[in-house]
Amino acid sequence: MDSITGLMHGFSIALQPQNLMWAFLGTFMGTAIGVLPGIGPALTIALLLPVTVHIDPTAAFIMFAGIFYGAMYGGSTTSILLNTPGESGSMMTALEGNRMARNGRGAAALCTAAIGSFVAGTIGTLGLTFLAPPIAELAFIFKPQDYFALMLLAFLSVSVVMGTSKVRGFVSLFLGLSLGLVGIDKATGQQRLTFGIPDLMDGVEMTVVLVSLFAIGETLYVASRYGMQKPNLNPLAGGIWMTKEDWKRSWKPWLRGTFFGFPIGALPAGGAEIPTFLSYTVERKLTKHPEEFGHGAIEGVAGPEAANNASAAGVLVPLLTLGLPTSATAAIMLAAFQNYGLQPGPLLFINSGDLVWGLIASLYVGNLMLLILNLPLAGLWVRLLFIPRPYLYAGILIFSLVGIWGVSNSWVDLAMMFGVGLMGYAMRVYDFPIAPVLIGLILGPMAEVQMRRALAIGQGDPMVFVSTPLSALLVAIAFFVVTVPAVLHWRRTRKIAQSEDISG
Amino acid sequence: MTERPYWIAAGTVGWGAIVLLKAAELPQFDQYAYIGPGFLPSAVGVGLVLLGLMLAVQIRQGVPFEEQEAEDVSETHAVSYKALGLSAAACALPLLTMPKLGFVITCTGCFVLVAAAFKSERWLFNTAIGFVFSIICWWVFRKLGVQLGGFLPLMGV
Repeated sequence: MDSITGLMHGFSIALQPQNLMWAFLGTFMGTAIGVLPGIGPALTIALLLPVTVHIDPTAAFIMFAGIFYGAMYGGSTTSILLNTPGESGSMMTALEGNRMARNGRGAAALCTAAIGSFVAGTIGTLGLTFLAPPIAELAFIFKPQDYFALMLLAFLSVSVVMGTSKVRGFVSLFLGLSLGLVGIDKATGQQRLTFGIPDLMDGVEMTVVLVSLFAIGETLYVASRYGMQKPNLNPLAGGIWMTKEDWKRSWKPWLRGTFFGFPIGALPAGGAEIPTFLSYTVERKLTKHPEEFGHGAIEGVAGPEAANNASAAGVLVPLLTLGLPTSATAAIMLAAFQNYGLQPGPLLFINSGDLVWGLIASLYVGNLMLLILNLPLAGLWVRLLFIPRPYLYAGILIFSLVGIWGVSNSWVDLAMMFGVGLMGYAMRVYDFPIAPVLIGLILGPMAEVQMRRALAIGQGDPMVFVSTPLSALLVAIAFFVVTVPAVLHWRRTRKIAQSEDISG
Repeated sequence: MTERPYWIAAGTVGWGAIVLLKAAELPQFDQYAYIGPGFLPSAVGVGLVLLGLMLAVQIRQGVPFEEQEAEDVSETHAVSYKALGLSAAACALPLLTMPKLGFVITCTGCFVLVAAAFKSERWLFNTAIGFVFSIICWWVFRKLGVQLGGFLPLMGV
């Protein structure tokens, strides 16, 4: 099926009334959690996993995609009106957006953010529509050693890029890998790290780890350091629509932001932070109104917001075509695919065409819904922030218990919730990144399968891991991802030491 | 933060050692797939031990540990151990009560404890809200097909 036919078929599925309802539910929940603190898209999807047992996979993924996209919109609303970015990708938006709101131009900032998100989301989805099938085709010629090298690259880049310290990034990754090893080894049937506990034979539930790390860790952390300032809402003065001048100053940053967001989002560990930061820097350099930057420049809202949403579409490319998650949300979506017995990759496009194309088409629909939900209703969404914090966090704990107890009514899962929750607390206090734990947990077992396959093909020769041009290239990139920053750091500290010697 | 959290390094090395010990009980190599069930656990165990040692060296060199930013966190990051204790108790409560007293009563308890951790000490009012909220959750998610157990398992309900 070529892209156009696939997409048309997808629309015939996405526009069915019940799927429109799921898309609406997803975008609605996504916007709400984007606004609320303490709960993000990855956690929401994890909490919904037990519910989806009774929903057909197409409907579930349409809803998940709505949550994923919607969270990006919701995050920008609170960044602009309250200077509290709900998601990390909205941090740059807060810089200029909140200034605009304080100058009484909040409506224009919300408008450029929402339309920019729509433009970028739509272009990103177009990119996904036309790029995903050829990349999926490419995956047919991938050999096990290529997959292994790709996963190695994902492991290393996630650990190096995320967080402030590489050692801490790797500790997180290895913790995730060790949790992923728990259970019966699928190749030999032997128990690993189960400590004789029957509940652990099936392995550690992704949902339990994710919910504990995010929701329990966050609740413990925020409760112990709680200090709430009453939200200081900036009035939505100055009309809802942008002026002609605003449009003129916004459309180029939208496109440039999309250009940064989509490809970087598709890279392992690309995420939303780097493209939004890049977009902000570039807009600051290119603007004709440099004096406005820092005081509410519309370009500084339009660019990063577009980059943020385009990266969300980018993340879906490696997830759907190669089964490679590059963010925490993508990791939990991969877990959802596995729950349904589906494996993202080229075969997904062939065996589950309805699902993939329905999902892609629903992204167009969801984007439009989000524009309608967000533009006129921004003021209403912000009201969510007035929910009293004691009840918000207590509610989050109860939802977490639904997610964890609902998986298999296991006491061991509850104990794990407590243990991993405390770990999540310590990780926040001592600044360990959380995403590598999840990537290690979900990709670790997959990498082991590919490693065994590759070795079986190569008859035990370890050189098999660099035996194809692609695997050699990926292993080389993985090597440089780790070594180049280390060498640069070493040279920089040596220079500083030398200059201190000279001045001393 | 200027403290030296050697316990994290010790914990990492300790968990790595447990993984290594457990891996040593398994065959490392295999005839067909070449690597056995114990190979990867051994590698991960070695990795954790080495990373723990590197972390210890970094801590000794005085590497700073900055707390992560989060919403609703006070600017000074001042720690209230009472609130931490209350919220940790809320997370531990299900271990004691979930199998016997069931979802609704457990969640009501958790609700009250978390609310107290966030400085809301209207115990009666919070218990009432927590109870109603827990019943609604239990009922709605049961309708959606999530198995959350009986209303009061001890009484067989």
